[in-house]
Amino acid sequence: MTLLSVKNLYVFIEDKQVDLLGPISFSLELGENLTIMGETGAGKSLIAQAILGSLPTGLKSRGDILLKGEAIDNLSPKKRAALWGDIITALPQEPWLSLDPLMRSGQQVAETHRYFKSYNWKEAKKQTEQQFKKLDLSDTAQKRPFQLSGGMAQRVAFAAATAGDAELLLADEPTKGLDSHRHDKILSLLKAIPQKGDSLLTITHDLDLAYALGGKIIILKNGKIVEEGITHTVLSSPKASYTQALCAANPSSWPPLSSCTISSKENILVQSEKLRIGRNKIAFIKGLDFCLKAGESLAISGPSGIGKTSLLDTIIGSIKPMGGTLTRAEHIGKWEIQKLYQDPPTAFPPLISLKDNFKAVTKKHKMAWDQLLQLLENVELDASILERRPSNVSGGELQRLSFIRALIAKPKILLADEPTSRLDLITQETCLNLLKKLCREENIGIILVTHNQHIAEKWAHNHIDLNQFCV
Amino acid sequence: MYKKLIAALLKRGLQALIVALIVGLVSFAMMQALPGDAAFRIAAGRYGYDLMDAAAAEAVRQELGLDRHWSLQLFDWLKALAQFNLGESFIYRGSVSEKIAVQLGHTLTLSLSALFVSILIAFPIGIYTGLNPNGWADKFFLQLSIFVRAIPPFAVGLTLVLIFSVHLKLFPVAGFRSFHHLILPAFTLGIGMAAVSNRVIRDSVLEAMHSDWQLFSRIKGLPSGLTLRAHVLRNAALPSVTYIGVQMAYLIEGVVIIETLFAWPGIGHALIHAIFGRDIAMVQGTALTLGLIYVGLNLVIDFLCSFIDPRSAKS
Repeated sequence: MTLLSVKNLYVFIEDKQVDLLGPISFSLELGENLTIMGETGAGKSLIAQAILGSLPTGLKSRGDILLKGEAIDNLSPKKRAALWGDIITALPQEPWLSLDPLMRSGQQVAETHRYFKSYNWKEAKKQTEQQFKKLDLSDTAQKRPFQLSGGMAQRVAFAAATAGDAELLLADEPTKGLDSHRHDKILSLLKAIPQKGDSLLTITHDLDLAYALGGKIIILKNGKIVEEGITHTVLSSPKASYTQALCAANPSSWPPLSSCTISSKENILVQSEKLRIGRNKIAFIKGLDFCLKAGESLAISGPSGIGKTSLLDTIIGSIKPMGGTLTRAEHIGKWEIQKLYQDPPTAFPPLISLKDNFKAVTKKHKMAWDQLLQLLENVELDASILERRPSNVSGGELQRLSFIRALIAKPKILLADEPTSRLDLITQETCLNLLKKLCREENIGIILVTHNQHIAEKWAHNHIDLNQFCV
Repeated sequence: MYKKLIAALLKRGLQALIVALIVGLVSFAMMQALPGDAAFRIAAGRYGYDLMDAAAAEAVRQELGLDRHWSLQLFDWLKALAQFNLGESFIYRGSVSEKIAVQLGHTLTLSLSALFVSILIAFPIGIYTGLNPNGWADKFFLQLSIFVRAIPPFAVGLTLVLIFSVHLKLFPVAGFRSFHHLILPAFTLGIGMAAVSNRVIRDSVLEAMHSDWQLFSRIKGLPSGLTLRAHVLRNAALPSVTYIGVQMAYLIEGVVIIETLFAWPGIGHALIHAIFGRDIAMVQGTALTLGLIYVGLNLVIDFLCSFIDPRSAKS
């Protein structure tokens, strides 16, 4: 039975009558599984929001959305919302922000059980307990969101979203920012949905997730469908050039790194011996030896919570090593270690135009405006982009801008903390290659933190797997 | 948990001590700075202007030691304070603490009623306008709030008296004999506070309604009413209650004026009279008590906040 069918769906800006997306058509049977892949910032999430009826103000959709054969696109917002939890549910993109910060996580799930099945509190709590047990969350019920890790918050959100036994689950970027262990965990949860007869619509730029989920796939570029079909067929023998590029950009299919050329003992920027790292007197990492030279790249990989960020903080000097030695070259000044952040939008003040932001930074570090324009050209950005605010710039562009912002300070060391984990595969590859090229040209030593083993092995000159140094 | 409680009490206790010192010093300094002969005014306060003369003023000066150096007078007051003794009133018979004990009850009745009135007005308006932003009600209450807040409390009080006492004859003009007497002063203070706090509540509700967790609560299936009750209001209450804490200063300041206006026999009323009569002991005692009420109300707000938001208590 067809659960959801979408015909000629467009999403557009109401005032300007500009289409952001469309035409999109697909159908989803009960027990089926559909994945939508495409660029970051291309409006993939808008499809999920259009189906839910939760488009941001100012955006509207047209075209038909049929749920169980009945049109829902012209229902009142109130009637649309009545479908939520009962027939359609969604896994939020930002699980942490999607849980009530003041309420215990068990309660947030239990209230859904209580509401849907008119259980009393005792019964609802029992149901929640069973669900938490299945999700490995047994001792989480009493905790509040700020006490949960990202992976735990996601599973709590999963439990809450599925408590009403809705037939359709929309999962928007479910693996964003998760390490491989948590990646597998959420994968198995998602896989179980079609298996028990419900339908799953996943929106992602994670090729490995799409492949593992199977089912059907739609590839989007510029808001239009460029290819669709059975996931395994499409991804193993892509026809559209965009799909081919997408598959080639997956780190697992990157070519291995050509032999590195830096071997001289000179230009050592930072070096450690038997380094022991921790916070609040608890050590995470021990016996770590590494060395970073000018123009060289070093990748650090390991699961979330192993101490990657603490290692970066130790290199910056904001936390002291608990043992061993860490030597920074003496000529490295205060501004000459710069950091790139995981989530580009949070690294820019939202209400200040990019131009003002860059003016301040160039003034601080005494760089001529022309030089900045040259840098922009190097990363293939038009100078007109500076007229906009951060929210009107795509994630890939913003991350390139943050590279430049770091370069203005003329750093000797660049620390990049998962700089591309929120970008689509092609943008990720472009960004990382660009980063490597810039560092090579400017003779900057770069440390990249990633939880993608493939990137760590194929991108950097040296690779440290923190699993081997775990306490 | 108990550690946190004790730490909070210690913090406010220390604050109370500092407030006591500063209020004592400042009010003493201000009384000293006033022109004219204090002994003369005190004698007039005791016996009436017609029944006093220079000799009576001199007797008062000797009795109260007003001719001593100011530092000695201050030292005496501080020494007595350290023994929890606020001294004797310069004008009336009896100790300052006895008088304040009676007035404190009246002041607390008025302050808490005003607080209650402000909450009763601000929350429904703030929640409604927060849920319907930019509607006619939102715009109307924004203008009204600015208008009301721009008027000083005594003018609000006088306006209420003119309308409800003089014209409509619904409530008494002043006094404190019955519940009826409480209504106008409580509303005068409460309206002033609600004028600002309803906007703070409106913004908090609006922000909560735009949060990811609000949307997710709906998407997981909870209806809007339940989402509002279980999630939105609690989260919005946090900044609102914190702001009401900030308003305590306005409340204390307002109490002094409004008590005087409505002849409400509380501490504020007593403070004004003590200033006119140069009753230094009374001024210091009442000002000190008002300062301590401020600290005490803030302590209550602290506990309310950590009850609403357990994060601050545990982190």
